[in-house]
Amino acid sequence: MPASAELKALVEQVPDHDKGGSYVNLTPESGEAMRKLTAELHKGGRDAVLGIIDMLVEPKVGEPVKDIKPHYALHMLAVHVTGLGDDKARAEFATTLASQLGGDRPKAIQKYLIQELGVCGGKEVVEPLGKMLLDAELCDDAARALAAIKDCAADVLLAALPQVQGRGRLSVVKKLAVLKCEKAAEVFKQALSDQDPDVRIAGGWGIARIADAPAADALLKAADGAKDWLRINLSDAAMSLADALLAAGKKPEAAAIYAHIAKTRTDPAEKHLKEAAERGLAAAK
Amino acid sequence: MPDQPVSRRRFLQGAATAAAAFSIVPRGVLGGEKGAPPSETFACGLIGCGSQAGEDINSYIKHWGAEFRVLAAADVHYGRLSNAKKRWGEQVELYTDWRRVVERRDIDVVSIATPPHWHALCCIAAAQAGKDILCEKPMTKFIAEGRAVVTAVKRYGRVFQIGTSGRFGAAKSPVSRQIHKIMRSGLLKSCPAVHIQKGGFPVRRYCGLVNAVPEPAPKELDWDMYCGPAPVRPYHHDRFGWNHRFYWDYEGGALADFAQHYMDPFQWIYGKDDTSPVEIESLAPPAHPECCTPWAWVELKYADGLTLVLDGNEWGPRYDRKPARQLKLEDLDAESQEKLKALPDPEPLLTFPEAVRQRKESGGHVEAAHRAITIAHLANISIRLGRKIKYDPVKEEVIGDDVANRLVYQPMREPWHL
Repeated sequence: MPASAELKALVEQVPDHDKGGSYVNLTPESGEAMRKLTAELHKGGRDAVLGIIDMLVEPKVGEPVKDIKPHYALHMLAVHVTGLGDDKARAEFATTLASQLGGDRPKAIQKYLIQELGVCGGKEVVEPLGKMLLDAELCDDAARALAAIKDCAADVLLAALPQVQGRGRLSVVKKLAVLKCEKAAEVFKQALSDQDPDVRIAGGWGIARIADAPAADALLKAADGAKDWLRINLSDAAMSLADALLAAGKKPEAAAIYAHIAKTRTDPAEKHLKEAAERGLAAAK
Repeated sequence: MPDQPVSRRRFLQGAATAAAAFSIVPRGVLGGEKGAPPSETFACGLIGCGSQAGEDINSYIKHWGAEFRVLAAADVHYGRLSNAKKRWGEQVELYTDWRRVVERRDIDVVSIATPPHWHALCCIAAAQAGKDILCEKPMTKFIAEGRAVVTAVKRYGRVFQIGTSGRFGAAKSPVSRQIHKIMRSGLLKSCPAVHIQKGGFPVRRYCGLVNAVPEPAPKELDWDMYCGPAPVRPYHHDRFGWNHRFYWDYEGGALADFAQHYMDPFQWIYGKDDTSPVEIESLAPPAHPECCTPWAWVELKYADGLTLVLDGNEWGPRYDRKPARQLKLEDLDAESQEKLKALPDPEPLLTFPEAVRQRKESGGHVEAAHRAITIAHLANISIRLGRKIKYDPVKEEVIGDDVANRLVYQPMREPWHL
């Protein structure tokens, strides 16, 4: 929706930056005026938000930045709606942002909208964000926003996973781990044998994050057979899993992992692992 | 080594021959029962070869009476890498990917001097690989990173020292030692002290450029790897190098860059190495989404009543809610004062070399460093959201503010994770 003249005039009230290009020139008075301006913009509702989005301009190499004020204004609004104590208002704003995903807007602008959804979004926007997981350019941004939102996000990530291609798969598996998604237990386990070492690491981390005791053998096998960076990460995932199981009172399961690590990490360069496992084993008795 | 960018091929060759290149037997391999060194020479790996590279080595190893030898160095900028051999010797193997440094079996100590958005990941990996760690300040970019570093360091029994040393001086001051002793004694029912850090934050200088015209990334820079766990933005020279401090993606302005220096001694003096403030309030204009903007002051209260104020003293009104007020012996009742006399004085802080030799915590240990920079992160969260927040220092979560918690734990770009 094209911004009205009235809206443009309001956005123009965002202070100019200083000659050097920063906002060091703000004052307590201009800061207060910015807060009032934000509240005024918010009164404009959906039309105002769409108008501001329409004022955003894709950054291009060598070209001056043309959307400094609407860029700032949209973020001020995103923060503003999270501080009102009015979840309906916050959700309306977030829904409006999400409505502009997936269309013809430049990907750089959609990335910015996703970033701001990571600030203010809730469960009402996980579905549209989930659709962005299928866009290779937006997948990782959307996955990060979903992980920030948390609420209902794991189900959307899990549902999208079979359709996500390439490195996007890594983004999704990682964020399922961030969210400690127990429904993804099989995903994490399968990831241990993925061709991509980063996906294998993500799988190990996910197993540790959900403290999946039945996956311990698969994780240890993957760690034992790995070298260098992969071995460091998968060995740590096994230790993390054991620590999580110990913290959850599952001493026998934890002890089995510690014992395996203590027995197999005999190389002097892995002495720290052996010693850590021995400490864990003592704690699990 | 020619004074010009080094090719990727050269780096790969270096990586391939690394195993044969080292001449120092790693301490961890030949060390005695507790990893005691065969000599007083530390085999070091540098991650980040900018202006701060090796500063902590000079400060915390050489200055404190141990020798070191740099065997490996990593940086995303080939030009900086090419200088590493000049600075540290021909034995240094060069890598564009810091993970290759961590993998090496012959490294005892990793010195991390990247921009802060990399610090936690490098620290965690170093601990997982059994290295001791020197990490430049600020320790982290957000709070959850710090907890992950603490977990990794403790899990593998590593020695960690943050790149600031204010507490070593504070621990020698009779006044500071007495405050420390009172605070740690448990004899004080509530703490009436108000500690004001007035100035020392270059608030006006540390503001990012909102009009930065996107530029082509230099050929000698791996911009994607530089961004790492942070979002990839269009390249601009202000985002790379020293000025990265002005952007939320990589650091957190004057607060993040300087608070660790000031909070390191403060925390030791007031016995707060294992906790954090519970209420945080700030005065600042609405924050920009990517660029750090000015702020006036931040007031942080601890559960025991101690008030900490970070007064920027450069922008807006000065903090005037309370006057500074130091803790005094007279804040204890007479009986408690007598009990205090019977308590032992604080143990001397161990330097990094001493801590490595003894396999004990260094003076600027990992939990202390994490709690110190948590103060800056909490202050920045309040500034960025423009509101007062309440913090649970045990769960390390903002209470009742899910949006604030999105700044406590910031999901990373693939393939990185905590």
